[in-house]
Amino acid sequence: MTPDDATLMAYADGELDPLAAKRVEQALAADPALARTVEAHRALRARMAVAYPAAPTPAGDPLAARIAAPATVVPFTPRVVPRTTRPRWRQVAAMAACLVVGVAVGTQWQSGPVTAKHGALIAAGPLARALDTRLAATTGETRMLLSFRGRDGRPCRVFAAPAVDGIACHNADDWSLVRTRSAAGGGRGAYRQAGSADATLMAEAQEMIAGEPLSREQEAAAVVQGWR
Amino acid sequence: MAAFENELVAVLPRLRRFARSLSRDAADAEDLCQVAVEKALKARDQWQPGTRMDSWMYRIMRNAWIDTARARRRAAQTFVAEAAGAGVGIDGAQDIARHVARGEVDAAMQRLPDEQREAVALVLVEGLAYKEAAMVLDIPMGTLTSRLVRGRQALIAQLGEAA
Repeated sequence: MTPDDATLMAYADGELDPLAAKRVEQALAADPALARTVEAHRALRARMAVAYPAAPTPAGDPLAARIAAPATVVPFTPRVVPRTTRPRWRQVAAMAACLVVGVAVGTQWQSGPVTAKHGALIAAGPLARALDTRLAATTGETRMLLSFRGRDGRPCRVFAAPAVDGIACHNADDWSLVRTRSAAGGGRGAYRQAGSADATLMAEAQEMIAGEPLSREQEAAAVVQGWR
Repeated sequence: MAAFENELVAVLPRLRRFARSLSRDAADAEDLCQVAVEKALKARDQWQPGTRMDSWMYRIMRNAWIDTARARRRAAQTFVAEAAGAGVGIDGAQDIARHVARGEVDAAMQRLPDEQREAVALVLVEGLAYKEAAMVLDIPMGTLTSRLVRGRQALIAQLGEAA
């Protein structure tokens, strides 16, 4: 029986069991046209290997760096968010929404991570400590995703805490929560990934940032100097 | 670095190659790679240490590619419809220039239907066994071999017997 093209292909790829391969070999010996088909399949494989080489990853490759330190590296093709002049009422509405989240978090966590001072939300307890001392890309309940200097000169940090995610900016001696977002998203597992900051938060950080995010060294220095 | 990151970096050259064989050009391939890596970092909990990182990543990348390919096709259709509506002919010159600039193999791969191209890419470019490729694509072995044989026949016909 003449083997069909799928069988010849499988033979060329070494995918046949010994018995089936034997049968193909007998057919090949009898028919040079079949042998040519097998040759064509092998030649194609060789040509594909030449056309698509696997080049070693170059040193300093941004994608490799991204994998190595997901949270400290600047996101790819930083999104240029035009500074829009939003109507004043929308800003007020956004602030009110933040406050609602903050208050909800506050009541949920009586001795928790958020207090209010002069009508502004201030990080407290474990969140304040984490903001003071944690470096980005370290694991734990509260994680820092990105540190940067805002346009107003204050050092700011994007964080993910158990009950709330947000952006905090450092004042003289405490952290204002300038953006908050309740950490919904159901459960820790899938949610608590390095670099999985809420896209909206990251976009907001992008809007506030002056220059580049802090490098790991700059961040470590800021921790030592108390975020002055 | 943890095992996960190490393994992911280790498969990067193969991921880039796979992306290259699926995508239209180098820029699209690099975009696809970045998307796949982002997805992998987000889904790292789902990767089980001790299992194969390459198969897992091929699957992620393939799914990302299907998504973007679909979106692109929709965009292309919109464009064609608008151009036709306006009575403007489609200018094929750019397309042709791209085909010439690209390798012959690349051009032939681009002409394959997606389902044949991904089968060819996994088996002929990535060197996966049929069984592994069928698992990455989530299709039965018979489907894999029939797509593979049709894809290869088309490539051989376009590139010549001696390939």
